[in-house]
Parts: sequence; C-alpha cells; structure tokens
Amino acid sequence: MTESAGNKNEDCHAANGVKPGRNGMVKNHHHHHHQYQKQDKVYHAACNGELYSRPFIESFEETPMLVAVLTYMGYGILTIFGYLRDFMREWKIEKCHIAREREEQKDFVSLYQDFENFYTRNLYMRIRDSWNRPICSVPGATFDLVERSSNDYNWTFEYTGRVVKDVINLGSYNYLGFAENTGACATAAGEVTVKFGVGVASTRQEMGNLDKHEELEKLAASFLGVESAMAFGMGFATNSMNIPALAGKGCLILSDELNHASLVLGARLSGSTIRVFKHNNMQSLEKLLRDAIAHGQPRTHRPWKKILILVEGIYSMEGSIIRLPEVIALKKKYKAYLYLDEAHSIGALGPNGRGVVEYFGLDPKDVDVMMGTFTKSFGAAGGYIGGRKDLIDYLRTHSHSAIYATSMSLPVVEQIITSMKCIMGKDGTTIGRSRIQRLAENTVYFRRRLREMGFIIYGNNDSPVVPMMLYMPAKIGAFGREMLKRNIGVVVVGFPATPIIESRARFCISAAHTKEMLDRALDVISEVGDLLQLKYSRHKVLPSLDRPFDETTYEENEE
Amino acid sequence: MALGDAWKQLSWFYYQYVLVTALYMLEPWERTIFNSLLITVAAMAVYTGYVFMPQHIMAILHYFEVVQ
Repeated sequence: MTESAGNKNEDCHAANGVKPGRNGMVKNHHHHHHQYQKQDKVYHAACNGELYSRPFIESFEETPMLVAVLTYMGYGILTIFGYLRDFMREWKIEKCHIAREREEQKDFVSLYQDFENFYTRNLYMRIRDSWNRPICSVPGATFDLVERSSNDYNWTFEYTGRVVKDVINLGSYNYLGFAENTGACATAAGEVTVKFGVGVASTRQEMGNLDKHEELEKLAASFLGVESAMAFGMGFATNSMNIPALAGKGCLILSDELNHASLVLGARLSGSTIRVFKHNNMQSLEKLLRDAIAHGQPRTHRPWKKILILVEGIYSMEGSIIRLPEVIALKKKYKAYLYLDEAHSIGALGPNGRGVVEYFGLDPKDVDVMMGTFTKSFGAAGGYIGGRKDLIDYLRTHSHSAIYATSMSLPVVEQIITSMKCIMGKDGTTIGRSRIQRLAENTVYFRRRLREMGFIIYGNNDSPVVPMMLYMPAKIGAFGREMLKRNIGVVVVGFPATPIIESRARFCISAAHTKEMLDRALDVISEVGDLLQLKYSRHKVLPSLDRPFDETTYEENEE
Repeated sequence: MALGDAWKQLSWFYYQYVLVTALYMLEPWERTIFNSLLITVAAMAVYTGYVFMPQHIMAILHYFEVVQ
C-alpha cells in the first residue's frame, strides 16, 4: 500500500494544494525532501481507498531545538525561584497568600505539595492577569473590558474604574457571530422571556418538558439529518452524564489522546475499560481495535460487550480536524460504535454549517451518537445528542442529566431555535448562508496570513480555531499583556491544558469579524511577534502519520 | 543620536534576555539576585582568564615550538 504510493513522487508539485501530491514515503524521502520543504503536505487518500473528496491539509511544525532548550531553561529558572519562594513562605520570611493546611493538619498527608499546586503558586500566579478578565459587554466581534491593576504581583486585583472599550475579540467561541444583543435572535429570546419567564424550575422528566423543548429537539434532529435528538442544559454535562448511560462495565472505550475533559470524565464515570490511541492516528486506532477483538476482555478473554470510539470534530487546542472517513471505515470494518463530539465543529464546518460530517460529505447515519454543543456556533448554552430514535428514547429515561438536571432555560432555547433556523435558511433570509461563507473566508485568510508572517500555526487549514505557538513561559504573559495594550483580546494557554513546553495563543475566528478587524489584528500580531521574537517557523512541516505505525516512521524527522 | 539608538538597541536586547530566561515573570528583587549571580559567575570567569591567559599562551607557543 505504502510502496505503490511512494513510487509516484516525481511530478507532484501541488503548489496551491489543488492538485493533490503524494506524501513523502520513507524510502524515497531523502531524494525528494527538498521539494517538500516549502509546501504543505497534501494527503490525497489514494492509499486510503479514495475516502477523501478534498485535500486534507494539516500541519504541526516541529519545535525548533533551540527554542525547546531555552524553554526548558526558562522553566528551570522559574522552578528554582519557586523553591526559594516556597522556602521563604515555609520559614515565615514572606507572607503566604495562598491556601495552606492548618497547624493541626501538618502531620497529615500534605495537600499542596504536588507539582500542580507548585505550578499554580509559583508560575501561574505571576501571570494571572492574562486570565479571568472581567468583560462588561456582549462578547461579539468587539467587547469592553473592565480594567484591573494589582499592587502585590497578581495575588489581589483592584478595579481602576476605567473600562477599555472596543477590544477586538479573538478569544470567544463566536464562530457564526450569534453572540449579539441585537437582531432576530435577541428579539425572539426577549419575547419568550416576557411570555414564559426565565426559570423552568423542574427536570425534564418531571414538570420541565415544555413544548419549546420538543420543538428544539425536532429542529435539531432535522438540522443534523438524524432521526431524533435530545437537548441538555450544559455541554460538559451532556458528555459526562450520557457516556455512563451508553457504556458500562465490560465495554471498551477507545478515546483519542487529546480528548476534552468532559469526554474523559464521562468515560471514567462509566466504569468501562479505557484505552487511548494517539491523536488523530488511524494506525494506532486500528491496532487497538484489532487487539481488542483478538484478545477480548483482560483476564477472561470474553468478547467485549461493545466498543465505543470517542472522538471530537475539531480539537480546540490543536485546531486539528478528525479524520472522519477513516474512522467510519474502521468502525464499520470492526463493528464498533462511534461517538462524535462536535462541540467546535457544528455550525463552523461544512457548506451548510452541518458540521464535520457534512464537511467530508458523509452520511450522518454512519455516526452512532452525534453529540454537540450550542455554546459555540449558536450563541447559547447547552448540548445535544442526536442519533437513532431508539437510542434517544433510551437516553431520555436513562441519562442522569435528564433525570436530575434542570431543563434548559426558555430564552436560551429560543435563541437556539432562531439561530438554527437562520443557519438553515428557514427564516427566509440568507444571513445564515452568508455567515458560514464569511467564516470560511476569514479562516482561510487569517491562517494564510499568519503562516506567511512566519509564526508556527498548528492544525488543519479549514479549522476556525488557530493555535499559535509561544513556547516560552515569559512570552505567555508578555503576549497577553502586549496584545491588550494594543486593544486586542486573546486567549493564551499554558500547562496543564497543553504539554509543558508547547504553550500557545489560541485565536477563534468569527463570522462577525470584518476584514478590517482581521487586518488590524494581523498587523498588531505581527508587531508583537517581532517585539517578542515569536516568528519561529522554519517551514519544516512535521509529516502527519499517514503510514504504517512502526519504527521507520520516526526516521524521517532527521532532516 | 547614535547614543539614543544604541540605548534603544541595548534595552531591546535586555528585554529579549529577560523574556527568554523567564526573568520577565519574576519580581524585581528576584531579578536582582539572578543578575548578580550571573554577573558574579561571568566576572569570575573573566578574572580567571585574565590571570591565566599569559601562562596558557606561553604553553601553547612552547608546544608548537614557536618559542623556546
């Protein structure tokens, strides 16, 4: 399979990605690597049986060695000073601002000695002003920020009383721009509040099942192309409370390495055996599936009751898109079930905004459980699960969230209904369609410009989540502060949400951003990038693992 | 003017040094400690070089038989 694809390396200059090329195979790589140095790897799926109808361009550039060494050095210096400060706090030379055990508990097992607490005390607190910033307006394309200052190095904050106005918002998950306080959605939600009030005061199973909820579920089912759907009040709770209802003891859960905390929590709560496969790596998944079916359960070797594969549509920390055609092919071959979490991809991918299934041109009926959230593209809150009617009927009676959690508040339901109708075009306008197109254009433009400037950007070319690598700990705080000084609000992420040296700034593109806003943001990012020396890219793209998963895969990285 | 430019350039270099070594995140007294330690170690290295360089150069020249 790989040899045949590797022999056709000669005439494959896919300059703009339209004509698909071949990925560099191990045997011929050293002859042709100079051709690939300046171009993205385009993975035409001839070696995957023609599963992909469009080029799948994803890149995760390797960390430059010097940057990695300097990052470790920076963390080392911070750790040494952290130990010094802990020593001073212990010996009462310095006042301790953070929680500690009481005198009587000193002989018990210590609560705050692990690395996470050390990191929080000594590293996170120093740059804490980049997070939890209070916003005092609707988080649309721009927002207003309440200014704060700190006199004791971020242990406490005071409000200066000023408000920073019109900060460009590159951090909100506002992909289609529905987080707004004017327009059809807001008016409809206002009318419903006046008519029905805000609280529902009951769970779905008792007195909290209103006709609006039924309308929402029918609409969501028709939006997704499935038989039936169910809506829940909280997106995190949708995952963590429903996976235990779907899998239990004796079942196997195969979960991606970089799955969200809600999926991990749901998998752990279910009591099933969990096995983790490498991120977006189909060879790893196939190996796990084959091992599971061949060997069965750990000691008894009985067959697994069911095998559930947990994946996400777009991974928000990497900006990568799941290889859905391959996952579905594997699922069908090995008779497993697929749980797809489309939190970030629903509304944001696909020509009609129907998510990652439509993006790849697949059939929604192939995905057994389609989960998503209304938080990101619909400007509301909550989650849904869609699938076959018997599955959803089972969940209505057996899900913890349906039995114990309060049902969704009605203004939120109305916001979702109105925005979903707008995206589908059912409200008679083309607003939804134009927003989806604008999001796609903004995404491609922003990613291309950032790549050209020389930053290291992770992820797929079509994903509206754009992680830009920062690496060094001081640059995390510096980037957040410098961008705010120039009136742009960004989200910076470090450990523990990312691996310790791979800290990043994560931009979320929105359909509400105009081209002028994006241009201004890009100019500022370039200026700050020059000031902080963030343009690390050397155009060496780490080849995505699209070949058999064995030792020879790693030889190629020696360039 | 040249002095102003040189000062700007130097302060940009200092800013980069402070960012890369993560001193940016530390309080001023911690920066003082670290900078003092670094300057002390560097000064010791320069002093050792100054004291022992003539001996080392004579030994090298002797080895290559340039001087008896």
